[in-house]
Amino acid sequence: MSNLANAPANALAAKEARDKSFRKKGILIALLSGFLYGGYTAFMTHGMESGVWIDFYGATGIAKGLSAFALIYTLSALGAAVNDLCSAVWSLIYAAIIGRLGDFKRSLRTKPGRILIIAAIIGGPFASTCYVIGLQMAGSIIVPIAALNAAIGAIIGRFLYKQKLSAGMILGIVICFCAAVLIGSTGMTGLSFDGKAVLGMAAAFLAALGWGIEGAVGGYACCIVDYEVAIVIRQCTSGIVNAVILVSILSIMGGDRIGTGFRLLGAALTDGPSIWMFFIAGMFASFSFKFWYKGASMCGAALGMGCNGTYAFWGPFWCFIVIGLVFGVDGYAIPWQGWVGALIMVVGIVILAISQDKATKEA
Amino acid sequence: MLPLNMAILKFFTSGKEACRADVQDALRAQYGTFRAFSDKQMDEALQTACSNGLIAENRLEMDSSGNLIIYYKSDQEMIDTIRKYVD
Repeated sequence: MSNLANAPANALAAKEARDKSFRKKGILIALLSGFLYGGYTAFMTHGMESGVWIDFYGATGIAKGLSAFALIYTLSALGAAVNDLCSAVWSLIYAAIIGRLGDFKRSLRTKPGRILIIAAIIGGPFASTCYVIGLQMAGSIIVPIAALNAAIGAIIGRFLYKQKLSAGMILGIVICFCAAVLIGSTGMTGLSFDGKAVLGMAAAFLAALGWGIEGAVGGYACCIVDYEVAIVIRQCTSGIVNAVILVSILSIMGGDRIGTGFRLLGAALTDGPSIWMFFIAGMFASFSFKFWYKGASMCGAALGMGCNGTYAFWGPFWCFIVIGLVFGVDGYAIPWQGWVGALIMVVGIVILAISQDKATKEA
Repeated sequence: MLPLNMAILKFFTSGKEACRADVQDALRAQYGTFRAFSDKQMDEALQTACSNGLIAENRLEMDSSGNLIIYYKSDQEMIDTIRKYVD
């Protein structure tokens, strides 16, 4: 059907230059998503160590009498809820500034809009909770299991959307995965394989599955719905579900009353010493997640999520800069595994990008 | 009224070949005031849809100013996929 073979040579050359520029932009955006994820991690982590959160984790003040379950699970969900609500506010303000609020309302009534809402619930509250449960039950052995999300996203992209996945691309993904394992290995202690640990690993796999689904589905949806609109849907959905549903369910499960979650949420949202850090984290999260979707829509799930996977390095890096150097908290220096892992990850991404380019040209 | 990106894709379900300017001419009455209706953002939306296999490059031309003009078209399989998402 195509008449490209008969196109003038100057038109073909111009198209090739345009394709190259689009591809470079896609890779840059996907890499930026991983970089900004680090900023989100650092500010959220420090926010949860400041102000009223000290009372929360000490079970003192407003949090007096909080169950041990709540200290682990409800507070993690609460942190994610506060961050995502701040991020939703940021995303709405930004969408208003760039004139996307109308399309946001219109998209909510469409099939791709509903798909984005489901993807946000799977990748947001569901996957994040599974990750925290995995960490609590099996320890940091689950970090590399969760890092499988990029590989899962690539497989979903291949089968659901017929995206390219060559042997070279699989090699690139495996190298990136090994790098993430190396970076995450620094916290691994006391590995065991009892029933509890196996359940924790299963929970971590569910987290990887959730993020993989979200990356592939969300990325593809961004060729149908504008990514500036998709991020508003994502953050509003995740913020509301985390804050209203998840925190309430966890409060009940922990034996605390349903009102406990809302009381803590209100205290966290109105806490001056910590909320500004959540607002900064929310801004980083808004840009990181929208670039994750946008990168995957421009490069495909395999390369987009591979580039996004650099968050495994940028998370500790930003924590070291922001919490360690700026706020002077000890314990955030990056061990050698972090730096070596980052270099290996660069090699993996280069192999992934070159292989995808080759596969595209051969098609 | 559909969101802009979905309206762009729906335009191609007619099976007709069109460049970015053709799409803009067809949608200007409803979407002309949208900030995302700019040449650059429309080009990017078309290129993203193309890289995800919803539309395909069909013909290339150079205009009198030396700018590349890309004509896109959707085949039946692409049209069926678009219709699955765009009501």
